[in-house]
Amino acid sequence: MSAIAESYAVKLGRNRLGLWLFLFSDLFVFVGLFVARVVLLGGQRPDLDQTLGIIVTVMLLFSSFFMNRAEIEMAHGNRPAFLRNIFITMVLGLIFLVGVVGVEWQVAHFGPGDGAQGAVFYAMTGFHAFHVLTGVIFLFIVWNNGRNGHYSAEKHWGVEACAIYWHFVDVVWMFFYVGLYLMGNPI
Amino acid sequence: MVHFVIVGLLVVASTLGLGLFLTNAPILPLQASEQAITVDWLFNIHWWLIAFFFSLITVFILYSVFVFRRKRGERGDGKYVSHNDRLEIIWTAIPIGIVLILAVIGASTLADVERRDANALTVDVYASQWVWRFEYTAEVQTEAGETILTAVSTDTLVLPKDRQVLLRMRSADVIHSFWVPEFRIKQDVLPGGDEFVRELRITPNLEGLYKVRCAELCGQLHYAMLADVQVVTPAEFDAWLAENAGDCNLGDEQCGQRWATTYGCTACHSLTGESGVGPTWLGLFGHEVSLSDGSVVTADLEYLHTSIVDPNAQVVQGFQPGIMPQDFAVRLTEEQIQQIIAFIVSLQ
Amino acid sequence: MRFLSTGLVRGLIAQIVGTVVGMALTMAIRVLVGLPVSSTDAALQQHITEVHVVGGVIIGAMAFMVGVGVLDEWLGWARGKPINENIDPDPSKPNWMRYFGVDFDHKVIGVQYGVTSILLLGIGGLMAVLFRTELAQSGITFLNSDIFEIMLGYNSEHLFNTLMSLHGMVMIAGNLLGIGALMNYLVPMMIGANDMAFPRLNSFAFWINVPGALILVSSMFFGGFDTGWVGYPPLSVRAPLGMEMFLIGVYLVGLSSIAGAINVIVTVFTMRAKGMTMFRMPIFVWAALATSIIQFTATQMIGLSFQLVMLERLFGMGFFDATAGGDPILYQHLFWFYSHPAVYVFILPGLGIISELLPVFSRKPLFGYKAVAMSSLGIALIGFFVWAHHMFASGMSPFLRVPFMYATLLVAVPTGVKFFSWVATLWEGKLEFPTPMLFALGSVVIFLLGGVTGPPLGTIATDLHLHDTYFVVGHFHDTMFGGFVFPFFAALYYWFPKLTGRMYNEKLGKWHFWLMWGSFMVLSNGMLLVGLLGMRRRIVDYDPALGFDFTHLLITIAAFAIFLSVVLALYNFIRSARKGPEAKDNVWNSRSPEWHIPSPAPLHNFPEPFEVVGEPYDYGKIDSPYVIMPAASATGHAHAAATGKE
Ligand code: HEA
Ligand code: HEA
Ligand code: HEC
Ligand code: CUA
Ligand SMILES: [Cu+2]
Repeated sequence: MSAIAESYAVKLGRNRLGLWLFLFSDLFVFVGLFVARVVLLGGQRPDLDQTLGIIVTVMLLFSSFFMNRAEIEMAHGNRPAFLRNIFITMVLGLIFLVGVVGVEWQVAHFGPGDGAQGAVFYAMTGFHAFHVLTGVIFLFIVWNNGRNGHYSAEKHWGVEACAIYWHFVDVVWMFFYVGLYLMGNPI
Repeated sequence: MVHFVIVGLLVVASTLGLGLFLTNAPILPLQASEQAITVDWLFNIHWWLIAFFFSLITVFILYSVFVFRRKRGERGDGKYVSHNDRLEIIWTAIPIGIVLILAVIGASTLADVERRDANALTVDVYASQWVWRFEYTAEVQTEAGETILTAVSTDTLVLPKDRQVLLRMRSADVIHSFWVPEFRIKQDVLPGGDEFVRELRITPNLEGLYKVRCAELCGQLHYAMLADVQVVTPAEFDAWLAENAGDCNLGDEQCGQRWATTYGCTACHSLTGESGVGPTWLGLFGHEVSLSDGSVVTADLEYLHTSIVDPNAQVVQGFQPGIMPQDFAVRLTEEQIQQIIAFIVSLQ
Repeated sequence: MRFLSTGLVRGLIAQIVGTVVGMALTMAIRVLVGLPVSSTDAALQQHITEVHVVGGVIIGAMAFMVGVGVLDEWLGWARGKPINENIDPDPSKPNWMRYFGVDFDHKVIGVQYGVTSILLLGIGGLMAVLFRTELAQSGITFLNSDIFEIMLGYNSEHLFNTLMSLHGMVMIAGNLLGIGALMNYLVPMMIGANDMAFPRLNSFAFWINVPGALILVSSMFFGGFDTGWVGYPPLSVRAPLGMEMFLIGVYLVGLSSIAGAINVIVTVFTMRAKGMTMFRMPIFVWAALATSIIQFTATQMIGLSFQLVMLERLFGMGFFDATAGGDPILYQHLFWFYSHPAVYVFILPGLGIISELLPVFSRKPLFGYKAVAMSSLGIALIGFFVWAHHMFASGMSPFLRVPFMYATLLVAVPTGVKFFSWVATLWEGKLEFPTPMLFALGSVVIFLLGGVTGPPLGTIATDLHLHDTYFVVGHFHDTMFGGFVFPFFAALYYWFPKLTGRMYNEKLGKWHFWLMWGSFMVLSNGMLLVGLLGMRRRIVDYDPALGFDFTHLLITIAAFAIFLSVVLALYNFIRSARKGPEAKDNVWNSRSPEWHIPSPAPLHNFPEPFEVVGEPYDYGKIDSPYVIMPAASATGHAHAAATGKE
């Protein structure tokens, strides 16, 4: 049982456990931010552009759908479909980023220094956007590796990890969306 | 079995010795408030628990060390005992019981310590880096014969004996903590608006001189953030309050000096020429002051006024901006500011 | 010459270059988005410098990681290169070089952790000795020397606060690294694994500490900071630039904790040898597991709270600024949500070591193995629900106080189970007292003292007197020394022969123990006493009228004695590693698997996997085997010993 000769299946199990533990750990950051939001704003919420909120949220939801497609296609060994789907995921992720950081941050009528609402809004979206950014980079790497012939129907841990991470970031946003756009009354 | 009897006796002896020592040795400050009585009572319970559990474990260990040590030339292993469910349940259950009882006692002593007295004397406490200021409300008779309320501001906390005092505390900058060891209980003082005002109730029961010692790290001079506390008889208290109530009518300079102490200026500004946290006031007026942006100005009346109401506007060279409290414009009346300036002018 | 080509040196150079480049980059970005890069206004200039320095320092830390080479494989993967499965060291390099660069062997990483830990404990200890010298008498008499002011540019009060705060955090970092050392070195060998589950992540987790520690200590030279290790705002928002170094440094060390803990958990769950069920693992592994569970979750909260302070400083985001709608108490909740569970991180591995050693040296089974294992989990679990006991006087919502008092006191129960089990383990044993055993017993007494001073802090009424006094300081030095420092030394002596194949000097070891134990007792009891009498924490000078001078002098003398004893130990270790007599294979006649392979252990620990067929602590039971070690893995006479015969 030397470290070199271990089977792929054994390693896969280990990697999965490791990834889930990491996500559970990461979850604490988001829960902490959410708690901060509840403590500081309570029954109020930042006054934000609702249409924009809906659009970026839908983009992210769709992206998760395409990510799921990509993973399934890879599991069936269908490389072109996999590449197509993961590319769409990436584009949707980028649209989300541009929507939040590029547009929402600019049109919001308050800055990060403007009281608790500024602090909470920019911190929550900022921390989340950072995760989306890392997710997009991850997607790009996997897409690029996929183009170069990596991954197969049997062995595609990279794709799987990327998918799990992406879904996680997506689910977190669902809660943040509620916390920022729906809960309470606008200030 | 013999072993257990001997160890049991030793544990009892050690518990008694340690417990009696802890409950009788002078290991707590003077007891000078009603709350302190309750707190010390709870301390005594803790001392006995500590005496018992510390003795229990250490006596068993020491006994094992001396009696069960491997003798010279002895071979082989110890007795094979891997567990004992009954014993383990007992030593889990008993501590649970003790802990629950302790928590109930803890909650009731807390209720005792926080008991409210409707007749309490209210004092507003203002903490700022690194001074305490206390404000009382006093009734005074005007010349027209009506009774009005005025504020009495001091840097010494004067309290009547045997009457509960309600301290309403707020901070101007960072977190401080109000603590008089002889009164036992402490409370952090928070910056922020009205929702951050915190209260503390104390009933002093022993006349004497004590000190408020800021107990929360609040920057450079945290260690020196002290204020005198004087517990006096109710009659003395009333007299003191009446004497200090009403407007200051000692003349501008003297009044200025009074405000400079009660508002804590002299905690940072010396009157003797040494620099402290802030520059000295001695010989300030009319002389040239170098500012941190490189310019040099003459300290005229207007400069002094700006320095007090907006200290960051012109920062003296060698000092940091933001150290001097920024809120004197609202805490002091214009008249008080003029009187302080008059006092500074007099220091040549 | 070769030293210059090690990963460490390359990393350090990269960090310096990275910091400079990072500052330039931050400046460039500010120019691009139209923000000023300099200002005549002093306050604004200070802020701008801070932004640049922070940008530089963060990039510098990343550059270190690239320079040292831990990221090579991952960066290669990102560029599309196939993954190299071989993690063995380059055989053309001399052995010592493995310790100064990236290496994936868990034993090497364990040693790297250990040495870094001792360095940090040493630096933190020197800081303590410095400010203790100041406290030896009332009045400010030592830190006001001009040398300090010229070197660091700030006055004695600020210097004291900086030293005191850094002492706290550097010691804690050293503590975390020491635990990392024990877990890395021991866990795989104890459960029959060849390495940790993720060797590359393991190496990453170690190396991130190096820039982290450097940045943390460098805060002294960036103006220091004066908030204590807790960094409460608003004070931490107003503190000088050194505050940022503190926040960033701790954040990086925290990252290491998280990565390391995930690794330990996965290793324990997936890499145990055949037949090694959870309840047959050596007890230390349980402690490591419980510790890791706390580490990989709670640590995120200190990371978050520190980041929020940084954001408040850099972008004026008013999380904790009450005038802007923020709440200073919120920070304390976030901070203690980590930092209370963290105190159990500091001690659980240490208590695991004690549970590991007592059976060996009393030649008896660990009494109530299952209960001891479960009590670690119990402490870890309850530990998540007690954080607000640090805030009884903080002015948080009053209705929170009583529930937290209940939870706090409840921790005494699982901790008590450990103590009672230890006592029962010793009872009717055949006790021997080599240095590791002395340290184990010494820790039990000291940790007991720390434990029983917990309940007076846990009941609110008494805590309102004790909070922020030296009683608290005494309490936690007792728990940290009893739960970490003494067990850590016990472990160092105990596994020294395993690590080096040589024996340490027993006489010096015993001197070390008695000197350190005795002077620590003076130190901590002195602290408890002055604390009760009203000595506040974190003050550079105390009122001579209080009559504390003599006790403080004793404490300071004790601190110097502890210092001396540690020097003695280091001398012992360094000398014995080179010249000590060769050790027997299974010096302590232990049943644990790591003692049934040669010392020092070979590269992949076990060329052939072993099988577990019995209970771990059946000392005193003849013919009760624990592991069956195949000949390829075992030392010559290991097999007989493994079955428990003399
Ligand atoms: C290193 C580890 C460590 C450990 C293990 C502990 C263990 C405990 N601590 Fe400690 N604590 C710290 C480190 C630690 N602490 C630190 C660093 C601080 C200060 C932080 C700062 O402000 O800087 C602190 C501060 C601190 C406070 C806040 C004080 C204040 O600032 O006002 C409190 C309050 O409740 C507290 C309580 C306890 C309790 C109840 C335990 C319990 O876990 C103890 C349980 C053990 C026993 C009780 C002994 C054995 C049990 C028996 C023999 C069974 C029977 C006993 C009974 C029934 C009583 N601790
Ligand atoms: C693991 C944790 C740990 C350890 C081991 C120590 C060890 C010591 N501590 Fe520490 N202490 C803390 C954690 C720790 N402390 C924390 C968290 C705080 C709170 C900070 C705060 O309030 O914010 C604190 C605060 C604290 C205070 C209170 C400060 C104050 O409130 O004003 C004091 C005062 O006496 C003190 C003293 C000491 C002393 C004398 C030692 C000594 O025992 C140290 C002995 C060790 C040495 C002297 C080192 C010897 C090493 C060598 C000789 C090797 C040298 C070689 C190399 C450099 C490789 N400590
Ligand atoms: C916490 C410390 C502190 C307190 C309290 C304080 N000051 Fe100051 N003061 C400073 C510092 C530091 C400076 C120098 C920096 C500056 O100019 O802002 C200063 C500067 C001044 C100056 C300008 C002095 C010069 O040499 O040019 C005046 C006037 C002054 N303060 C008046 C007051 C008055 C009046 C009060 C009380 C009502 C007061 N200060 C309270 C710290 C303090
Ligand atoms: Cu105010 Cu400490
Ligand atoms: Cu705690």
